[in-house]
Parts: sequence; structure tokens; C-alpha cells
Amino acid sequence: MANFQPMRGFLRTQNPWMPAGIAATVVYVVFVGLPVLALLIRAAQQESFADSLTSNIALQALRLSLITSLVSMVVVVVLGTPFALLLARSDSRILKAVDSLVELPLVLPPVVVGVAMLMAFGRQGLIGPALTNLGITLPFTTVAVVFAQMFVATPFYVRAAKLGFQSVARDYEDVSQTLGVSPWRTFWKLTLPLASPSIIGGLALAWARAISEFGATIMFAGNLTGRTQTMPLAILSAMESDLGSALSLSVLLLIGSLAVLLVLGMFTRRQWQGRL
Amino acid sequence: MTKGWVRCQLGDFSLETEWEAVPGQVLVLFGPSGAGKTTTLRAIAGLVQPLMGHIEVGGQVVYDSDSQVWVPPHRRRVGYLTQRYHLFPHLSLIGNISYGLTKRSTADYHPKIEYLLRSLQLEGLEERHIWELSGGQQQRVALARALATDPQVLLLDEPFSSLDGELRRTLHGEVRSILSEANIPVILVTHDREEALALGDAMQVIDRGQTLSRGDPLQVLGQPGQARVARLVGVENVLSMYVESRHPQDGTMVCGSRDAATGPGPILRLEVPLSDLAEGQPVTVGIRASDIILAGEKLVSSSARNQITGKVICIELRPPGYEVTLDCAGIGFRCHITGTSLSEMGIKPGLDLWAVFKASSCFLVAEDVV
Repeated sequence: MANFQPMRGFLRTQNPWMPAGIAATVVYVVFVGLPVLALLIRAAQQESFADSLTSNIALQALRLSLITSLVSMVVVVVLGTPFALLLARSDSRILKAVDSLVELPLVLPPVVVGVAMLMAFGRQGLIGPALTNLGITLPFTTVAVVFAQMFVATPFYVRAAKLGFQSVARDYEDVSQTLGVSPWRTFWKLTLPLASPSIIGGLALAWARAISEFGATIMFAGNLTGRTQTMPLAILSAMESDLGSALSLSVLLLIGSLAVLLVLGMFTRRQWQGRL
Repeated sequence: MTKGWVRCQLGDFSLETEWEAVPGQVLVLFGPSGAGKTTTLRAIAGLVQPLMGHIEVGGQVVYDSDSQVWVPPHRRRVGYLTQRYHLFPHLSLIGNISYGLTKRSTADYHPKIEYLLRSLQLEGLEERHIWELSGGQQQRVALARALATDPQVLLLDEPFSSLDGELRRTLHGEVRSILSEANIPVILVTHDREEALALGDAMQVIDRGQTLSRGDPLQVLGQPGQARVARLVGVENVLSMYVESRHPQDGTMVCGSRDAATGPGPILRLEVPLSDLAEGQPVTVGIRASDIILAGEKLVSSSARNQITGKVICIELRPPGYEVTLDCAGIGFRCHITGTSLSEMGIKPGLDLWAVFKASSCFLVAEDVV
């Protein structure tokens, strides 16, 4: 009895599924890893990595992508946070229906989103003529790029923020109030910090989704260099003429994605997670 | 002084209770889970809105349904300690304690904080994360946090329920002295008899949203006047009997476990304190299991008026001792003894024993009118 030791390591159980699991894992790692590796190797092989990045088109796309995704994230956070808090704290049936609507952009094909936005805001769209009368034109502008990004990215943020707020039991807020802290200050001192790992994780995912937006953007905003041509669109254009630029931009997006994963790993594993 | 009354409705549960707590004293709200104790505390703290009522905290009216007064929780000056403490996990120990204080700097603690750290033995742990603390320490931090904001009343919702027995007893002592120094009224919710006795100055038994009894804890727990209260506070033997004969000269009466006129058969007779019940009337008798002495044979010369014999049918561990159940004329009779007595007397199922107790250890309880 005294010598009992738990079996350690990779194959500690004699589960008959284990070999199949290992085989599937290997296939999966190769399947995901190979294209990523290929991209990196091809990008490294070209002599003018820096040159193609600093080419005019690539720079403009990079700048546009950063600005539009930043603006859409600001809007998503400012509007999405109170929205998520309401969804997390209310039992109303109407809000439950709204809650399921939040998920729609997750499953809707982006091209359909683009068409739908044209039907709403386009020149011939539902409220397009009214906007034109006010002197506002949305389609094929930079604002349209932001609209498309917001539409597809919001669910990632709202869902994560809602879960974050839900993880903070009401009792914490109750205790905070009995300590003389008003509901408003309780939100800033307690609820928001406790929900922040989820919120930051959701923001990272939302940003990743916004920066990779393609289908809705090309339908609703078009592919105009310097105005609506974001990085994914620039990559598509470059593939036809300048493979080097396409590769460099792709590598840049890959690095951005890895950074998002890093942020997710850092913030969603706070020490006090699971102790609420 | 903190007092008030409320009527609350939560779904189909309705609560009607009133209370009065004096500074420096602990009022115990005692009752089973779901009785409405926590709801009462939450109403005082302003965390649930009653249907109607009147609540005063430290002499200030914080709620009154007639004059439409409603003070929000953060202006009520109550300290509220929940069962699970709800310490804030993103803050250190000192961050938790000083959470409610508006001005603070880490180098120069508020003198109040310093006092609390010292008296609750939390010095040197200031920068610890709360999950690095033991259960007892977490409990002390929660208490310190509640006291730091100078509350006018302290509401304790089963604050010791997640701690083990010994630690609980140590903390009872500490908390007792802290509370008497704080000199504010304390309302303690518990369903633990020992805790009610150790901490309570006054006691109120609540069940199904209603106050059943109130008074001195020793009185309420020792000789509860009502059968429902007796069962709630855990009187182990509650027997339905009939008055057989009255002995006013001794101040006692003899009761039988059934009406002797119904026919022959085993009958359990007890001598209990006299009441104004007439012969033949039903009566409910309560006896605490810890008031009974077990003997191997009948005591030849003894002042105890009750000596009944029975066979051991069951022995159960009931820390710190044992509960022995005797079959006395078909009635299960429960007695508490220590482990040493159990082994010295060689008690095992099937053994014949005598249960010995005074007439005054028996008390009469009124059956509830339902």
C-alpha cells in the first residue's frame, strides 16, 4: 500500500480508444500545422519580405485594417458592455429572445451579411434613400467597413462579456453595497474587474474576427485601395499580381492571430478564476 | 437599537417577522433552512423589498411602507456576513477589509483597520490572496470587512456553518469578545443549537415564515413551550401521553403513554411537572436526551422520580458522544452518553438498561393548534 503511486505520463490508462485518439491528434496537428508552416517557409524564402510589406498597397491596407478594427472595437465595447450586463442580469422573456438574436451573426454567412446591409443601407435599400437625403452615403465607404466588422464581431464580445458578468454572483454585489459602496461604484470596483478576464478574452476574439472580415466587407464596402481595402481584401488582390505582398500580409495576420491566442491564454487564466 | 417588522412575499413563500436587537447583544434567529431567516436579514440590509413593514437601523428609519421611506442598501450602515463570506477574489486580504473605506493608502492604514487586524489575528497576512487563507481566517476577514465601515447593526448569516466543530468553538469565543467591544446590535442566523447558546443573548425561533417563540436562549432551547419549537430546536424525546393521576403535594403528575382504560398491554409511565390538565387529558412531554442517566440496574435508593427499563435497539455515533435508543414499552427513548460510558458499561444492542431522570427534566409542550 505504501508504494502505491499514480501512473504517470501520456499513456496511463489502458483505454482502447487511446491509439485512435493519438492517430487523430497527429492527423489534426499535421492538418493545421502544415499550411501554417508552408506559409512561413514560402514567406521566408522571398528576399523582399520587408519591401513587399512597405509597398504602398500593403501599407494602406494595414493602416486601414488597424483603424477600422480599432474603431469598431471601441463601438462594440461602449455599446456591448451595458448590453451584455443587461442580458446577464435580467430574466425578461423579451431579452431572452434578443439574447438568441445575438448569436445570429455567428452562423450567418458573411456574404449574406453584406447583401443584407446593402438592402438596408444601400442606395436602393430600406433606409438608404432617407440617408441620401441627409447627405449620408454608407456603401463603399470606410464607415461601411466598420459596419461590416461590427456586425460580425459583436457576438464574440457580447457573449463573452455576458458570461463574465454571469460568473459574478449577485451576492458579491450585495455584500459590496452593504459595505457602503453604491451600485454604480460597485460595478467599477467589483463587477467589472471580476468579469474582466472574460471581457478581455471576448474582445480579443472580436478583434480577430473584425480584422479577418472579408465576405461582408467586399459585398457592402467593396475593394477600393486606401478606402475599403482591408488586409484580407488586399491579400486576395495581391494573389493575382504580387504573391510576395500577399505572403507578407498573410504572415502579418498570422502573427496578429497568435498574439490574440496569447492574450486569451494570459487573461482567461487569472489566478482567481473558478473561485467566484 | 435596531428593530422592525416586515411582511415579505417571495413566490408562494410569505414571511412575517418582527425583531428588536439591543446594542452589545446578539439576537439569534433560529430555525430550519427555508424558514425565512436569511430573507429577514436581507430585508434589514435592503437587499429584498418587503411588501410592507417598518425597519430601523441604529435608530434611523430605513424602510417604512406607510410613509414610503426606502434607504438603499449602501446608505443603511449594516454589516452583512454571508454564509460563504463572498470575499472579493481580485483583492488581497487588506484590499478586502478596506474595500468599503473611501480614503486609504497602503502605507498608512486606517487606525480602525489596524485594530481589526490585531484583534482578529490577521497581522502579517495583509498582502495574501484570499484563497491562500484557511477557512477560519477567511471568516475573520469577512468579519473584519463588515466591521471596518462602522455598521450600526451586524447581520451574520450562518457564518460558522462551513467550519469544523473545534474551530467553530474557538471562533465563537473570539467573535463574542469582538462583538461586545463593537457595542452594536448583532443579529445571528443559525440552525445550530450550540452556537445559539454560545453566542445568543436573546433568541427567536422562526419556521415557515413565522416567529414561533422568543426569549432567553437557554429557556427556549432547554424547555421549549411548543411541540413545533421543541422539534425544531431538537428535543430528542417528544412523547404523546395522557394524564393518569395528579400529585399536587409533590408538584408532579403521572402520565401514561396511552389511555390505561383502552385495555391491558405494556405502558410507559412518567412523573412530570404538574400542570392544570385534568386526569385523562392528552399531554405532550419533552425530555432532552442529555438529561437522561443510563444505569445497568434499577437504582435502589434514588431521588429521581423516573426509572424506566428498556432494551437497547440502536447505538449511533453523535459527536462528541453516542446516542443510545431504548425500546421502552414500544416507545423509542433516546439518551446521550459519552464514549467512555458506552465502553465501560459494555452497552450493545439487546442489553436491558434503566433510564433514570428527574421529574423536573421533563417539560410539557403545547401541541400546536393546526
